[in-house]
Amino acid sequence: MRYVRLLGIFYKYSFLSELEYRVEFLANVFMNVFWLAWAIVSVAIFFLHTDRLGDWSWPEVLMVVALFTLFSGVMEALLRPNVGAVLDQIRDGTFDFVLTKPVNAQFIASLRNIVIWRLSDVIIGLALIVYALRQMDIVPTMGQIALFVLMLFAATAIVYSLWLMMVSLAFWFVKLDNFTELFYGFYEAGRYPVTIYRGIIRAVLTFVVPIAFVTTFPASALLGRIDQTTTMIGFALAIGLFVISNRVWTFALKHYSSASS
Amino acid sequence: MTIQVEHLCKYYQVHQKEPGLIGSVKSFVKRKYADVKAVDDVSFHIDAGEIVGFLGPNGAGKTTTLKVLSGLLYPTSGSARVLGFTPSERRKEYLSKITLVMGQKQQLNWDLPAIETFLVNAAIYEIPDAQFKSTLDELTELLELKPLLNKQVRKLSLGERMKCELAAALLHRPQVLFLDEPTIGLDVTMQTKIRQFITEYNERHRATIILTSHYMADVTALCRRVIVIDHGRMLYDGDLHALAEKIAPHKLIRVEFSETLNGHRLEEYGEVVKTRGQRAELLVPRDATSGVAARMLAELPIADVTIEEPPIEQVITRGFEEAARARAERGESDEDEGEED
Repeated sequence: MRYVRLLGIFYKYSFLSELEYRVEFLANVFMNVFWLAWAIVSVAIFFLHTDRLGDWSWPEVLMVVALFTLFSGVMEALLRPNVGAVLDQIRDGTFDFVLTKPVNAQFIASLRNIVIWRLSDVIIGLALIVYALRQMDIVPTMGQIALFVLMLFAATAIVYSLWLMMVSLAFWFVKLDNFTELFYGFYEAGRYPVTIYRGIIRAVLTFVVPIAFVTTFPASALLGRIDQTTTMIGFALAIGLFVISNRVWTFALKHYSSASS
Repeated sequence: MTIQVEHLCKYYQVHQKEPGLIGSVKSFVKRKYADVKAVDDVSFHIDAGEIVGFLGPNGAGKTTTLKVLSGLLYPTSGSARVLGFTPSERRKEYLSKITLVMGQKQQLNWDLPAIETFLVNAAIYEIPDAQFKSTLDELTELLELKPLLNKQVRKLSLGERMKCELAAALLHRPQVLFLDEPTIGLDVTMQTKIRQFITEYNERHRATIILTSHYMADVTALCRRVIVIDHGRMLYDGDLHALAEKIAPHKLIRVEFSETLNGHRLEEYGEVVKTRGQRAELLVPRDATSGVAARMLAELPIADVTIEEPPIEQVITRGFEEAARARAERGESDEDEGEED
């Protein structure tokens, strides 16, 4: 309960500090629209030559693009300004202030900030999903929608946990920017349905860096073309990674060396 | 007893790099690690309400000790207990009773007025509204914060920001304060104000305070007791003035002559620090002081003479310089120990 109240306060002040920069706010909305257009174009280009990508039709692929956009919103609004910012805080030493507060450090480090305008991506993504479903004349059942929402949460948990483990490494190695870039590289691969990849790459994207669970599988859930095993693996992966990342984080804290003043 | 530190050690593993490109490549491929003894077998006890100054040159281990005490770092060995807690466990009850202020790092939100950060801290520390209001009023009065509270932090001057940082760190009325260079970069007036505030806060709340500072004036003004650390080792723990006597090899003789000197060379009596008109100041080896003074009285036209301790700041600064020189002569380098900057 206390933590819920804290969240409210954190987000209020996060929002307030963003309002300080009105021009940046507008520029960012403009950027979002641009990136969405780019995401659609980069997929549409294939459909100039073919009607199907793997076994996915144009509106179905559009669903994956929509999820890619939606999840970019989640990442940029909630993950990058928090777990992503820990790296900088460790380097400039302000992480000390997180650790000296009488609140769970993982909680502050993971949820302290929100970049509210980035949630516009979530809305744009959802709108695109509705549009794609209309194109196919599909109306998902309540069950499919519920599963879709759950899979989104699982996806968030998966990406969050991977990121947290990566950040934990920074307690030893301090400078890890390239690592974050590598992660973004993998995430980029998620803009296409994972089934268009073959062999090893597909296995990597499903199990090693499980981007498939972030875009492809939630889309499949809405389209009613996901099997139970995949769903279960997704949830197991989310819970498992979450628990492991928490352990890694706790262990890493003991090795924190705090940048000198 | 508020703070108990027994045989505390904190070693870092630091990779060593030879200079130049080849050295960099070598260290990229295979790293040689060396233990850096940032804190090496340090023990001390501090009672409630004491203000203790940590003295030592850069990289002596002062900051590392403060970080261990505030729970940021796990000690390599030895133990630290503060208010009955083990800091490194970072228990909620412990963290809400202490505070760490670092002159070079800030917790205030850059884009918002300081008051907003205060409100966030009030929520984090679960400060009841009434207490928050009275504490804020008190801090506002002591630090003259009124005109600053509603300005964006990025628009404040360095000194104004430091005052707000102090307030943010003290809203929860901590019993133990760890102040790391709280006056760094501030002008003299602001330094004095911060010092007055620390004294005032200590007297009002019986808070226990450990302070590190590069400015000797901070330490001489605030602390009766000092702990001297150099290269991770504790060199001295006790009264500030006793320290000066112990490490100052000289005394200061101040003389006033009844007529202008000619023919007499003052250098014969000791190291001349200053001459102005008919006055002069000389540094004389401690043991020889009375002999030299007697000789001067006999041989020179003296109107007045006083024998004093040299200024404490000068003494301590010199002490560290001499220690560094002695180490250099023994062939120990200064760089392979201590924390990185």
